[in-house]
Amino acid sequence: MSKYIDKSLNEIHEALVKGEIKPVDLVNECLDRINKNNLNAFITMNDKVIEEAKELEKMEVPKDDLFFGIPIAIKDNIMVNGMLCTCASKILSNFEAIYDAGVIDLVKEHHMLIIGKTNMDEFAMGSTSETSYYGTPINPWNKERVPGGSSGGSAVSVAGRLVPLALGSDTGGSIRQPSSFNGIVGMKPSYGRVSRYGLVAFASSLDQIGPMTRNVLENANLLNVICGKDDRDMTSVETNEDFTRLIGKPLKDFKVAIPNYFLSDFVDSEVRNKVLEIKEMLEKNNVKVDMVDINHIDMAVILYQIIAMGEASSNLARFDGIRYGYSYPDPENLEDLYLKTRQYGFGNEVKRRIMVGSYILSGENAKIYYSKAMQIRDDLQKSFKKIFSEYNLIIGPSAARCAYPLNSGKDDPLHCFMDDILVMHANMGGFPCISIPIGFNSEKLPIGLQILGNNFDEATIYQLASFIEKELNLDLEGGKVSE
Amino acid sequence: MKCGDKMDKLTREEVEHVAHLARIGLSEDDITRYQVELKKMIDEIDKIKTMSDFDEEFMISPCKNEVPLDNGKVDNIETDNILKNVPKKKGNFVEVPVMVNE
Repeated sequence: MSKYIDKSLNEIHEALVKGEIKPVDLVNECLDRINKNNLNAFITMNDKVIEEAKELEKMEVPKDDLFFGIPIAIKDNIMVNGMLCTCASKILSNFEAIYDAGVIDLVKEHHMLIIGKTNMDEFAMGSTSETSYYGTPINPWNKERVPGGSSGGSAVSVAGRLVPLALGSDTGGSIRQPSSFNGIVGMKPSYGRVSRYGLVAFASSLDQIGPMTRNVLENANLLNVICGKDDRDMTSVETNEDFTRLIGKPLKDFKVAIPNYFLSDFVDSEVRNKVLEIKEMLEKNNVKVDMVDINHIDMAVILYQIIAMGEASSNLARFDGIRYGYSYPDPENLEDLYLKTRQYGFGNEVKRRIMVGSYILSGENAKIYYSKAMQIRDDLQKSFKKIFSEYNLIIGPSAARCAYPLNSGKDDPLHCFMDDILVMHANMGGFPCISIPIGFNSEKLPIGLQILGNNFDEATIYQLASFIEKELNLDLEGGKVSE
Repeated sequence: MKCGDKMDKLTREEVEHVAHLARIGLSEDDITRYQVELKKMIDEIDKIKTMSDFDEEFMISPCKNEVPLDNGKVDNIETDNILKNVPKKKGNFVEVPVMVNE
């Protein structure tokens, strides 16, 4: 079988335009790899994808649409009309989406081909994908290590080269941390950049959908087509710009900040050293890099816990066993239906968060915890904004360590929050933030660098990310599955 | 209700209280487990109490965009489609357990 799927998007597009291949050939390549290599990356496959690919043969391949006929994987908390949308939970195991999410409208408008819905942590709550009701996806770099999460299946599907593109969602690092663990490029765009209509809500003031790809250019290109105002999501904004426009441009008068907190003792020394190598490389290229202190930066985890759990308890109140999803079969009364549906329908991680979230929002506690957290969050955002008034971007490790052994944090309710200790700031401030691979540790596991920018300044992030990617020129095929 | 002051774990009543708020049923094993796990989580978020309070009233909004007051456009979804995922239904109605005694 040919290996078009491993070529760059531009090359695949050219081959489609010239008629050397058809969309169905690309789909078959993807399905072949998925079937031969069980990485448990998908929860549901799109059984109509071949039919949809053949349907595209009736159309002329548009020369200006890079995404025509390209296979894509979608995280299973994003609605695709007619397909199951389980959020990797038993409570939604039989739930069929009855409309397309805003991003899916755009994916379909560009004639991308949805291969399937990817595995994840239950309701995106977790950082290893181990809370999935459908089992943990396999990290293709090392099967004994966690794939990261919550967008673990999306990251694995791109890292294993099962698909060239995927969509994930990020509430507190859920795109960037698995991207880092899998050696791929993952962007959490600015809050409001991409419509959340049809994304199953976890923490509405933090959630954002974003692209996960093999390289920086393809990431920027994918964001180009999934962003924009959607009348069905009040928080989305109109943006009409090309995110690739600064890629390849010189880093003239560029200033980058590294918060001292990002290189604290809790960060693994191999990860820290790799980030310091990047600092050195940038300085050699006349980029000014300063170590800085940022007010409240160490509070992000606590703010995240309060805000995310509070909002989750409210958002997940809708799962009551009455209107959709799993329903306890033989309840004594209505109250019993609620209690038992939620007792048996949700997993442990989700139940813990809903309970603590309900406590946070009950009576006076709402003021003591949630309101106060929102006030400190506002202060934290201002502290970061102050840095952005002096520096173009902030950089640091995407995760404090590389992918670690499976089951290591199973019984610790705080474990997964600590995994995202370095990446939650972007969600707190609504800032865009990318994770790109910058090398490997001594065990050949990928290390990720996060690049954080001011609100709606994704283009500058892509500029630096692409510069670093080019300088390093890493071989990232280590996660690719066998043919 | 305050939970877990100066204790190693929550009391049984405290766990039952938060589970009731969350409408989540509990087994005996769950209660034992959550007495420890929820205590750990609440201790963590309690660290926010060490931060000084703010004096001024605060307007909370998740985003800085100017958002319209109406709910915007919502897709029309056919009744049949909505009913597709309903666990128990009769005709076009959603069936729920009896709430009032005869």
